[in-house]
Amino acid sequence: MSISRRNFIRQSGLAVTFTVAGRAMLLTPREAYAGDIPFSVLNREEVDTLEAICEHLLSGARGNGVAHFVDSQLSLDPADSMLFIKCFELEQPFPDFYRSALAELSRVSETVYGKSIVELDQAGAVSLIESLRDGNVPGWIGPPPPLVYHALRNDAVDVVYGTMEGFADLGIPYLAHIEPPEAW
Amino acid sequence: MRQPEKVDVVIVGSGAAGSVYAAIFAEAGKSVLVLEKGTDRKLTDLYSSQIWARRLKGGAPHVVEEGKDSIWYNFNAGHGYGGAAMHHYAVWPRYHEDDMQEHTLYGKGLDWPLEYEQLRPWYDQVQEDVGMSGDAEKEIWRPPGAPYPLPPLPVFEHGEILARGFTELDLRTSPIPVAILSREYKGRPACIYDSWCDAGCPTGALANPLVEYLPRAVKAGAVMQADSYVTRVLTDRKGMKATGVEYYDKAGERHEQAADAVVLAAFTVENSRILLNSATDSHAGGLGNSSGTLGRYLMSHPAVNVFGMFREETRCYYGVTGGQLFSQDGFEKEKSGDIYGSRQWEIGLGTKPNDLLGIAMSRVDLFGNDLHEFVERGSRHLGAMVGVCECLPHETNRIELAGSKDRFGMRLARVNFNLDDYARNLWRQTADLGVEIFKAAGATEAWHSPPGGQHIMGGTIMGNDRKSSVTNEYAQLHDVPNVIIGGPSVFPTSSSVNSTFTAHAVSLRSARHIAEHWGGVVA
Repeated sequence: MSISRRNFIRQSGLAVTFTVAGRAMLLTPREAYAGDIPFSVLNREEVDTLEAICEHLLSGARGNGVAHFVDSQLSLDPADSMLFIKCFELEQPFPDFYRSALAELSRVSETVYGKSIVELDQAGAVSLIESLRDGNVPGWIGPPPPLVYHALRNDAVDVVYGTMEGFADLGIPYLAHIEPPEAW
Repeated sequence: MRQPEKVDVVIVGSGAAGSVYAAIFAEAGKSVLVLEKGTDRKLTDLYSSQIWARRLKGGAPHVVEEGKDSIWYNFNAGHGYGGAAMHHYAVWPRYHEDDMQEHTLYGKGLDWPLEYEQLRPWYDQVQEDVGMSGDAEKEIWRPPGAPYPLPPLPVFEHGEILARGFTELDLRTSPIPVAILSREYKGRPACIYDSWCDAGCPTGALANPLVEYLPRAVKAGAVMQADSYVTRVLTDRKGMKATGVEYYDKAGERHEQAADAVVLAAFTVENSRILLNSATDSHAGGLGNSSGTLGRYLMSHPAVNVFGMFREETRCYYGVTGGQLFSQDGFEKEKSGDIYGSRQWEIGLGTKPNDLLGIAMSRVDLFGNDLHEFVERGSRHLGAMVGVCECLPHETNRIELAGSKDRFGMRLARVNFNLDDYARNLWRQTADLGVEIFKAAGATEAWHSPPGGQHIMGGTIMGNDRKSSVTNEYAQLHDVPNVIIGGPSVFPTSSSVNSTFTAHAVSLRSARHIAEHWGGVVA
């Protein structure tokens, strides 16, 4: 079956619409990351925090555009969102959840570990993530820590393993209904 | 405010139940308008991706969940043409005879106002309409009914490996009964076993509403209208009769759609929410709530996912999402003093790397390199099945209106749901047995998930006594008979079987009866 690249990208995985200089462009998050496409919902500090924690949760998340993926979905109506947190019964809108969680992660990193999350070493990151996962972050005042852990961990899994490239990295067939004419 | 033309029947929701009512009423010559709160979706919009699959799920409006247990509303609900049935796995067992007379037989739960024999021909008709695959003889637990029109789906490595564990423990398995085509049927192609059922099946091999009943409805003249968010059922001055519905379009403009009859098939929580929000002076506690049972008897199946690693390659990414084999050994309700309720197994679930039921989520404790290593190993060697348990109906498990409101000023739904000890003990027993089965099958390691909620039922239950139920046996409100309720919200008991087949059968039975007695219904 012959299909256009545009249609293929739309149908094969994780291409989403980004607005660049007033124009809507269909890109994969990885392409958006590589192209340094501006963010529409998250600010720079939030992006840095999100990328850093997701990279510790699952290496490859940053380069696969996790921040661009999350940012693009936060700009949508919750009913149209493709974020994992849609599975949770969270109060909407979703940006509030991310903003609150990322701000608290940043604050805890500074106060408990004495460094920004971007500067945190591997041991510090593991300690922070374990306390997040186990729900025992000292002084945490944001959304429930295990919920934050699940949300960010699964965002990382989505962009690393939930795409056609991710399946290829695992060596398993994607089995899309429409066969891809080329890798993207 | 625009006043659209009056129709014979307005149907709220285009999922499993709404699509059946739309087809039957349109084919009976009625003018039918289907209002869907979600988007206009076609088969070609169903991309093979667990990420894109989330567009099919619920998510708006928000449901406020309270109580100890979750009904997993967004996981179970749908959004857009086809509703929740667009992402369902099409595992279609039937309710058993005793599921429908549970109070009489066991002194627990409730009785349906009809018996299995009255529903049986409608199960048979639905399976003929949509094309079901299975083996009625090997499915030894199956209540009486016509054989499946198609042979069973093939069993691959994943199913064969897990079946060993059942055999070792003297438990029986059968081909899984599914509304998925093992062969071409009525011009629709056979399944290609790519296991993207959860993302919506674009080939038409899986019987979602877009492949059978909605096309029939449209062919017979029904009109579909997306982005139409219904907030209330409208009634006449005396409150004796529904006159239509109030809805808001995508631009936020309010409309009143007049109709001789209203079918409310907006899924379990929304059905109750809309009726509660339709309160008037004549129906102060909500429309159809003279019994005080509106919103009560909410049920959800407590489910346990069982996982294990095997030395062999399972190819778990292959097959169909809902499983390759099936077992209802252990379906008997009376197990011991503190364990009650039926259970079933769906064996060899098609499992992809990501999403809620994916490989990575099966070990939520892992991250970093441990997670990489686990996903790499799991993508080749993971086995997965689910045990689904019964949940008894309790009037304290209920849907009410929350204090907060949506953007149209309609109060949100608040759900209070708590499993009883019978269900908790049954779930625990099922989880332990599942791990034992995996070990018997040769798993090098085996574990299970925490409790999950599959399917949502109740809230507008049917019954013979108008003092203790919301609808009659044809799903008409006792109080306002030209309002018909569609979907599993009318089920008085949950059984442990998947609800979509029964939702179709109940809807088909009611739709045929109402079409044949139209004058009396809308008088």
